[in-house]
Amino acid sequence: MWYYLGRRLIQVPLVLIVVSLMTFLITRATPGDPVQIMLGMQTSPEAAAAMRAEFNLDRPLPVQYGLWIAKVATGDLGRSIRLNDTVTSLLAERFPVSLQLALAAMVFALVVSIPLGVIAALRRNSWIDYLCTGYTVVGFAVPNFGLALVLIYVFSIKLDWLPITGIGSSEAAAAGFWSYIKPFMIPAIALGTLQTAMLTRLLRSSMIDVLSQDYMRTARAKGLLPGTIVVVHALKNAMIPFITMVAVQFGYMIGIQVTIEYIFAVPGMGSAVLNAVVNRDFPVIQGFTLVISAFFLFANITADMLYALLDPRIRY
Amino acid sequence: MAVPNRISSPRFAGSIVLAARQFPRHRAAMIGLVCLVLICLISALAPYVAPYDPIQIKLSAKLKPPSFEHWMGTDHFGRDVLSRLLWGGRTSLGVGLLVVGFAFVLGVPLGLISGYFGGKVDNLIMRLVDALLTFPPLLLAVALVGLLGPDIQNVMLALGIVQAPVLARMVRGSTLAVREDLYVMAARALGAGPGRIVLSHLLRNVMSPIVVQLTIVFAAAVVAEASLSFLGFGTQPPNPSWGRDMSEARRFLGDAPWMFMAPTGAIMLCVLSINFMGDGLRDALDPRAWRTRRTVAAGERR
Repeated sequence: MWYYLGRRLIQVPLVLIVVSLMTFLITRATPGDPVQIMLGMQTSPEAAAAMRAEFNLDRPLPVQYGLWIAKVATGDLGRSIRLNDTVTSLLAERFPVSLQLALAAMVFALVVSIPLGVIAALRRNSWIDYLCTGYTVVGFAVPNFGLALVLIYVFSIKLDWLPITGIGSSEAAAAGFWSYIKPFMIPAIALGTLQTAMLTRLLRSSMIDVLSQDYMRTARAKGLLPGTIVVVHALKNAMIPFITMVAVQFGYMIGIQVTIEYIFAVPGMGSAVLNAVVNRDFPVIQGFTLVISAFFLFANITADMLYALLDPRIRY
Repeated sequence: MAVPNRISSPRFAGSIVLAARQFPRHRAAMIGLVCLVLICLISALAPYVAPYDPIQIKLSAKLKPPSFEHWMGTDHFGRDVLSRLLWGGRTSLGVGLLVVGFAFVLGVPLGLISGYFGGKVDNLIMRLVDALLTFPPLLLAVALVGLLGPDIQNVMLALGIVQAPVLARMVRGSTLAVREDLYVMAARALGAGPGRIVLSHLLRNVMSPIVVQLTIVFAAAVVAEASLSFLGFGTQPPNPSWGRDMSEARRFLGDAPWMFMAPTGAIMLCVLSINFMGDGLRDALDPRAWRTRRTVAAGERR
């Protein structure tokens, strides 16, 4: 397994180089000049040339890429053209916010999907199973930004229970745990509903599989308590594919937040990329996509490793 | 040298007939199909059935709740929400269908080539696919459209590029599974070239999972187009689009909830119908899942 892990880890930089090369080519091949957007149309050619030189934009493309990737290898992602700040310090600001939102959405997904999936599997073809199927079907169909609007309308405007802004603000964080959690609730539900549907469906079918195994009958014949059978024998085994899926989905979470960040004015990674794209802020686009891809890759490797750790039958 | 038909692969056309007989037994799938056909039909006929001009501003009628005159109310410019919904459907479904076509044309050949030839070609294509798949799909689409310019053609291009790698990887897997089958070896022994083997033997046999995957691509494309328009990167105002209209409705959530409910409901209904239809297609194209009277009567559900 360690050999497999080593091989997977060696591949990470290779995939990231392909990713960075693609991002680089996409940004350079498309229309729009960051310097012109930054300085405006009525700027002197000298000022524009000076700025181009500062960001190496006047060099040939292979040289630009070479200089950038050499810096990345030392941990320096360059400076933002627009924001007079380094990309790493922007990341240090934005990444924790996105990570918190992703965690909140995942916690919601787990809290709902585990009980729902287990009960639906135990009570197959009962009303609760149909409710679970209905929930997953709707969860797959509703777009997260549409759900966000519905939740804002109900919980924020009509009932006035939950705020719609405040994620990433230091005041909310300082005012205690509840006021820190509150602004996360609507965005986390909107963001996590698709994952909830996916995980519920997976856990239900994986529980049904496990429940039909011979060792379940043995456990019942031994006279074990129903609760022990469900938790120790069934759920533990049904959780193996579930946990892997959680890891994979968590890898996605950072990248799919963009619409939610847009609605709730969350200062996260997605909105940063959005602004960078509009302003052709090449270093930010390149740095952020690299980090998002790396996060996704590591989440996937973690998922594969967890699979092998949890299921002794799997050996890489 | 011509390969006689007798040893040709199991006929896809034949399996389509069998699948078509199975499909109506899946009740949810039939409902999905009927709904989808209705939505497509109404959207296609929007110029004839929409009660009002979707972009004509009438400030005297702004933010009116649903009534006999305006079934789904009016927006902040006094435009009829129902008319905008119908016209918006044209954009969303049109983009969805074109993305399906584009992803097919781009992803399927790549997957077939990768799976059939293997070796270096496979390695090169799959590393590209891997890299594309590490990007979150929506963010990649936003980056592409944002950089190319917010335009409906660019939206289609971007969504096609986003969806093609998923299809390519799936087709590669299915091709690998069938490429050593007897009928392929027989065709090769009779002197059929790679082109003929790939097109008339392999493609036909990997078609079932492709068809099912295309329904998923269709649903994803409808949602992605709405997301892009919502973020301001897709359809530009004043043109109607479900995502764009939801973005505008955001500012009037408290005053005019009908403005966001209509497009949200439309997207949901559309995706639900496509998903139901996709589930039915998957079962109909998979002989192991075929429903006999007995299994239906026993209410077997997994």
